[in-house]
Amino acid sequence: MLALVTFLPLCGALLLLLVPGRNAALLRGVALLVTAVTALLGFWLYARFDGASVAFQQEVSLAWFTVDGPSGPIPIRFHVGIDGISLLLVALTVLLMPLVVLSSYGHVHERVKEFLVWLLVMETGMLGVFVALDLVLFYFFWEVSLVPLYFLVGIWGGENRLYATLKFFLYTVAGSLVMLVGVLALVWRTGSASVPELLERASALDPATQGWIFAAFALAFAIKVPILPFHTWLADAHTEAPTSGSVLLAGVLLKMGTYGLLRFGIEMFPRVAVEAAPLFMMLGAFGIVYGALLAMAQTDLKRLIACSSVSHLGFVVLGLFALTGPALRGATLQMVNHGLSTGLLFLLVGMVYERTHTRALDRYGGLASVMPVFALFFVFTVLSSAGLPGLNGFVGEYLILAGTFPTSPLWSAVGVSGVVLGAVYLLMATRRVLFGPVVHEENRGLADLGVREVGLLVPLCALVVWLGVQPNAFLSRCAPKLDRILERVEDARFAASLDAAGTSTPEVER
Amino acid sequence: MILELASAQARDLTTLFDDLNAPAARVAVAPLLVLSAGVVLYLLCDVVLGQLRAMREVVFAAAIACAAGAEWRVLAHPPGSVLYGTFVANQATALWGFLFLLATLLAWIHGHGYYRENLPFKPEHDALLLTAPVGMMLMAGAGDLIVFFVGLELLSIPLYALCAFRRSRSASVEAGMKYFLLGSFASAIFLYGAALLYAGTGTLALEPLAQRDLGSPLARSGLALVAASLFFKAAVFPFQWWAPDVYQGSPTPVTGLMATGTKAAAFAFLVVQVTPLLPASDAPVVMALALVTMAIGNLGALVQSDLKRMLAYSSVAHAGNLLLLVAAGMGHPDQHGALRAALYYLGGYLFTAMGAFGLVARLEITGTRSTELSALRGLSRTRPGTSALMALFMLSLGGIPATAGFLGKWFVFGVLVREGWIAAAVIGALLSVIALGYYLRVIVVLYMQPAPEGAEPAPRAPWSVSAAGALCAVFVLAMGLLPSWFLGLLD
Repeated sequence: MLALVTFLPLCGALLLLLVPGRNAALLRGVALLVTAVTALLGFWLYARFDGASVAFQQEVSLAWFTVDGPSGPIPIRFHVGIDGISLLLVALTVLLMPLVVLSSYGHVHERVKEFLVWLLVMETGMLGVFVALDLVLFYFFWEVSLVPLYFLVGIWGGENRLYATLKFFLYTVAGSLVMLVGVLALVWRTGSASVPELLERASALDPATQGWIFAAFALAFAIKVPILPFHTWLADAHTEAPTSGSVLLAGVLLKMGTYGLLRFGIEMFPRVAVEAAPLFMMLGAFGIVYGALLAMAQTDLKRLIACSSVSHLGFVVLGLFALTGPALRGATLQMVNHGLSTGLLFLLVGMVYERTHTRALDRYGGLASVMPVFALFFVFTVLSSAGLPGLNGFVGEYLILAGTFPTSPLWSAVGVSGVVLGAVYLLMATRRVLFGPVVHEENRGLADLGVREVGLLVPLCALVVWLGVQPNAFLSRCAPKLDRILERVEDARFAASLDAAGTSTPEVER
Repeated sequence: MILELASAQARDLTTLFDDLNAPAARVAVAPLLVLSAGVVLYLLCDVVLGQLRAMREVVFAAAIACAAGAEWRVLAHPPGSVLYGTFVANQATALWGFLFLLATLLAWIHGHGYYRENLPFKPEHDALLLTAPVGMMLMAGAGDLIVFFVGLELLSIPLYALCAFRRSRSASVEAGMKYFLLGSFASAIFLYGAALLYAGTGTLALEPLAQRDLGSPLARSGLALVAASLFFKAAVFPFQWWAPDVYQGSPTPVTGLMATGTKAAAFAFLVVQVTPLLPASDAPVVMALALVTMAIGNLGALVQSDLKRMLAYSSVAHAGNLLLLVAAGMGHPDQHGALRAALYYLGGYLFTAMGAFGLVARLEITGTRSTELSALRGLSRTRPGTSALMALFMLSLGGIPATAGFLGKWFVFGVLVREGWIAAAVIGALLSVIALGYYLRVIVVLYMQPAPEGAEPAPRAPWSVSAAGALCAVFVLAMGLLPSWFLGLLD
C-alpha cells in the first residue's frame, strides 16, 4: 500500500503523457484525480497506523541490486516503511498536493501538461524520501526530487528564475554529493544499507568515523533546511518559483532536510548529535533571529515569507537539537505547522499576485476593503504563522521553547525574541497589504477570492485550528517513536560521560 | 625482442595452428575473426556489388550481430587465457566486447545521412569503422604488451583516417592531422616503454610481469611510459590537450566512437592489467592527476558555447573520474571491484554520450547546421521528444539518480571510499558539482529559453537515428533503475 501511495503519482505522470497537451481541462482533471486518490490512500495509511508502536510499519522490501562489501555483497533493497515521524510528513505531502494542483489552475496557463507531469513526478520523489528505509534508496529519491523542482521553477518561475534555479540546484547538489561520500562510507563500514540495521550498527562505529559521516550528512541536510550560513539559495528560489513550486518547496522540500537531521543525524548518530547539539542550537537560534530580521527588511511579499521560513525552520533545528522530549515533539509538530502555515501564505500571495501581478509590498495597501474574504484568510494565516494560541504555530513554538529551556536557557531566550520579531514582521506586512486606504487606483477593481480558491484554503485552515486545539491527536502518532529516539540519545550521552570519566565501556547495558 | 618473436615463429608454426584449432582458442578469437571477415566481405561487396547499397548495410549489421553472438558464447563459457597467454577471453572481455560493438553500431547508425559531401566514400568509412572494434577487442583482451600494441594500432589507424573524413572541412582535416601526429607519438612512447620493461624484466607477457620485481629504474620508467601512452588515449591530464580540438573537428559519429569506444578500450586494459603493476606508493600522484583532469574537463566545459566542444571537455572530465579507479587500485592484484565499476561507468557513459553525440550529429545535418548551444534554443516546443532525450542524457552525464550516470558514479566513488580515499572522494564529488553547471545549461537552453524569431522547426530525423536515440535512452534508464540485470552479467 505504501509503495502504491509512493508510485501512484508517477503512474499518473505517465498517464498524463498520453493525454493530448491541448486539452488543459482534462489534464488538470486527471492530475487532480490522481493526487486526490493518493491523498485518500495516504489518509487511510494514517488512520491504519498503530501509533503505540515504534517499529516501522507497512514495510515493503524487494531486492534491487548488490554492492561489494567487506564481508560479502551488501544487498541494496527497495525497502520502504513508515514510522510516526515519516507518517506525519507523508500525510502533509499527500494533503498539500491536490491543493497545489488546484492552485495551479490560476497561474499556469502555458505548457500545462509538462507542469502537471513534473508536479506528479515530484510528489513521488518527496514521498520516496520520507518512506525510504534503505539508505541508497533514500539518496536516490533525495536527488531525484531536485529535478522536477528545477524544471518547475526554471520554466514557470519569475523573471530571475534561471539564476535562482541554478543557485538552488548547485547548492543542494554540492551538499548531496558530499552526502554521497558519507552514504558510501557508511554502507561500506557497516556492511548494510538498510536503515533499521544501520540504526543498530552505525553507533557502533568508532567515534571519529561517526563524526565525519555525520558531518557529511549534516551538510546536505543543513543546505536543504536551510540552516543559517547556507540559506541564501532559499530566498531566490522561493521568490522566483511559481506558487505551486513555492508551496511545495516550503511545505515539503525543506522538511526533507529536517527529517534527514532527525532520522540520519540524531537517530542514527546519537552520540555525535549530543556533541554537535550546542553548535546546531546556536545556528538554529541565530537562524530564528536572523531570518526574522531579514524578513523585516524585505519589500517583496514573497521574499518576506521566504525569509520567515528561515526563521521558522530555525525553531525546528533548535527544537531537534535541544534533545529533550517536549522540544523534539515540538520540532516534529513544527515541521507540519510550517508546511501548513507557510503553504497557506504562499497560496495567498499567489492568489493576490495573479490579480495584481506584483509582489512589491508598496503596490498593495487597503486590500481588506476590496477583497474582504482574502483579508480574512490572510489575517488568519498570519496569526497562525505568528503563533497565536489556539492555532497550530503556538503549540509547536511553545513546546520547542519550553523544551529547550532546561538544556539552554540562553538559546531558548533568543528563540523567544524570535517569536516577538515574527509577530512584528508578519503584522507589519499585514498592515501594508490589507489595511489603510487604497493607495493604488488599479487595486480598486480586484476580484475577491472565488469558490475554487476558498475551497482549497479551507481544508488547510481547518487543520491549522485542529492542530492548535488538539495537537495530541497528531503528537500521539509520533510520540512513542520520538521517545525511543530520546532513549538512544540518553544512552549515548551516558556512554559519552562514562568515556569522559575515563572508564572503559566496551558495552553499554541498556 | 624481434629475435624472440622470430624464434617463436620458427619454433613451430604448426603448433600455433593446432593451438588456434583448440576449442577454447576458437571461442576466444571468434569475435575478432568474425569482424575481420566482415570487413573483408564488406569491401568485396563494395567492389562486386557496388550498386547494391542495401547489401552492404546487411553485411555490416550481420558482422556486428555475429560478433555479438560470438561474444555471447565467450560470456557463457569463458575460455580464459589462450594462445600461450597472449590473449585473454573471460566474462569481462566479453562485456567490454559488447560495449565496443555497441559503440561501433551506434556510430554507424549516426553516420547515416551525415556525410553528404563524401557519400561516394561511405563504404571506406564503414569498413574503417568496422575495423576499429577489432583493435579495441585486442586491447581489452591483450595478455601481452605486443598484442596490445597491435590492437592499439588497429584501432588508431582507422581513427586517424575517420577523424579527417569530412575532407571539405578544414577543422576535420586538422583534427585528423593532430590526432595522427600526437597519436603516433603516443604509440612510440608505448613501444619505448615496452622495450624498457622488457629490458628491465625480460618479459612482455603480463602474467609473468606481475610476478617480477618492477622496482628497477628500467622497469619503473618503462611502466611510466606505458601508462603515459594509455593516458594519452584516454585523454587524461597532462595528455588531454588534443581531445577538445580533435573531438570538435572530427565527424560527430567518429567523435562519439572515440569518446566512448577508445576510452573504454584504454581503461579496460589500464584497470585490469596495468593498475596492479603500478606501485602503490605513486597512487597519490595518479590521484592528483585524476582530480586535475576532472577540474580541467569541468572548468573547460563550463565556458564553452559549442555543444560538441562542451561534450569533448565533459569527456575529459569523465576520463578523470575513471582514473580515480586506477589510482585507488594501484598495486592491488584484485581489481574486481574496480573492473565492475569501470564497466558500469563506461557502459552508462557509452549510451549517454553516444545518445548525446547522435543528437548533435542530427543537429549538424538539419536545421541551423551548427553545433552552437544557442541553436538548441526553445527546441522543446518544436521537438519535445528530442529535447526530452537530450535532457535525459545531460542528467545522466551529470550523474543524477534514475540514470546510468548516477550508478556509474556511485560505483566509482564506492571503490574510492572502500580504499580509504575519503578526501579525494569529497574533492571529486565537489568537482562534479561544477559539471552540473554546464549540463544544466543545455537544459536551460532547451526548455527555458524561447525559440529565436522566425526559426524553422527542425525537420524530422531518419527513423534509424531516432530509434538509436530511443534505444540509448532506454538503456540509460534501465541501467539507472535496474542495475542488477547488468551486474548479473559480470558475476
